[in-house]
Amino acid sequence: MSVGNIIVWIVWIAAAAACIGSALAVVALRNALYSALALIGNLISLAVFYLLLSAEFVAAAQVLIYAGAVMVMFLFVIAYVGWDKDIAWTGGPRWQTLGSVVAAAALLCELVVVIVLGAANDLKRTDHVSANFGSASSVGRVFMSNHLLAFEVISIVLLVAAIGGVILGAQKQRRRSGGLR
Amino acid sequence: MSLLAPLATVQPWWIATIEAFVIIMVLLLGFAFVTLIERKLLGRFQRRFGPNRAGPYSILQPFADFIKLIRKAPFQPDEVIHPILYLGAPVLSGTMAFLAFSVIPWGGGWELFGYQIDGQVANVSISLIVVFAIGSISTYGVLLGGWASESKYAMLGAMRSGAQLVSYEVSLALSVLGVVLMARSLSLVDIVAAQGRTIWYIVPQIVGFGCFAIAGVAEVGRAPFDLPEAEQELVAGYHVEYSGMRWGLFQIAEYVHMITISALMVTLFFGGWLFPFGHRLGPLWFALKLAIVLFCFIWARASLPRLRYDQLMNLGWKVLLPIATVNALATAFFVVLK
Repeated sequence: MSVGNIIVWIVWIAAAAACIGSALAVVALRNALYSALALIGNLISLAVFYLLLSAEFVAAAQVLIYAGAVMVMFLFVIAYVGWDKDIAWTGGPRWQTLGSVVAAAALLCELVVVIVLGAANDLKRTDHVSANFGSASSVGRVFMSNHLLAFEVISIVLLVAAIGGVILGAQKQRRRSGGLR
Repeated sequence: MSLLAPLATVQPWWIATIEAFVIIMVLLLGFAFVTLIERKLLGRFQRRFGPNRAGPYSILQPFADFIKLIRKAPFQPDEVIHPILYLGAPVLSGTMAFLAFSVIPWGGGWELFGYQIDGQVANVSISLIVVFAIGSISTYGVLLGGWASESKYAMLGAMRSGAQLVSYEVSLALSVLGVVLMARSLSLVDIVAAQGRTIWYIVPQIVGFGCFAIAGVAEVGRAPFDLPEAEQELVAGYHVEYSGMRWGLFQIAEYVHMITISALMVTLFFGGWLFPFGHRLGPLWFALKLAIVLFCFIWARASLPRLRYDQLMNLGWKVLLPIATVNALATAFFVVLK
């Protein structure tokens, strides 16, 4: 085993431990802000996995978009809505708990089946991974060819969300200026 | 070995470590003397002397400031929410500020005693995104610092500064898209090389440069976008409950962030370390261009009035963002056409 491989193993084990630990912390912690911080840690440790898989562009985008921009919005909402009201969560409706457990179990089963049955031999092969794998240009090429439909659908969904945000903001403003008059 | 490919540099790891150490020392010294030069220049802009007591040309002033900060009692509010978060916020800000400089190229690389020495600590193919990713993480230093202080003013200041950083990050990222499209690369090393082959991108990307300059000043939170300094409104923003060297760490983060954004501006629009002659003297030209950009930062602080909070948000979302978007689209059109 070469030095490089040992480093990869050490990084992998540390990232895996951080990933599972922070994921547990997200659901176990009572304070919503601490949960959000744990989620940031979880997203960053996921980015380390992407880096280990040579998907450097995806790793950087993960940190920039999810750990950076999206989670800042979470923190804003938590801070505005009430971070100091230390209300213990009494639990949601029964069907919600049941549904989440079933969904998690289904995902776990799917993962195990895919890895053990389907991809066990594929994962060992590295010859079909090109030298360009994971670079920004190859990711962009895949977006614009194989997954063009999904890409366009997501862009429309985001556009709808942006317009919705503008409409909601504009309504509030109109009401406020109407009240002043 | 292939697993480590994105992390690998051409130079041996121990040379990269030495380089990182040297860069951090240079940045710390640079921070110390930028504060001095800023106070001197502000004095000149306002027709007064500025600091002139400590040593010839007041050259010892930064060290006097440092000793004063170190000896100050580290005051801490009783009701601080979590001591680790309270202390961690300035540490996070400072670390992220230094980290971003690791991918910025300041020289063309040399060969010394048979060893390859690169002009940057880490050569990654997506270094521009890495700089932005690190910048987006450093927002948490501001938010956590304000939140953990358990103080109304710190909280309000953190929310304002956080909103400002998030808003201008968008314009900042969009304004460099034109440069990326022209160089056809996200690597800062490649972007500098592409400018060596053609011309400095300040010429074709003058609109992008304008957006980058304004959004960059807002991103580091300096005048005219320095809302934490608006003492009549918010005392001192997110760092009001910090004192001594903890406050000093926030200051270090702000100044190093300013140096990093200036270095990024030099790299993207002014040819980085390139100069018409003397290619082996890359770091010298880089430092020279960096000094000119830093002077402009201080010049802007001395001459422009501060924006109100609503003006700040309007400028970011309704003026800069559309201009940066149209610039990116126009550049894409011309690049495809060519």
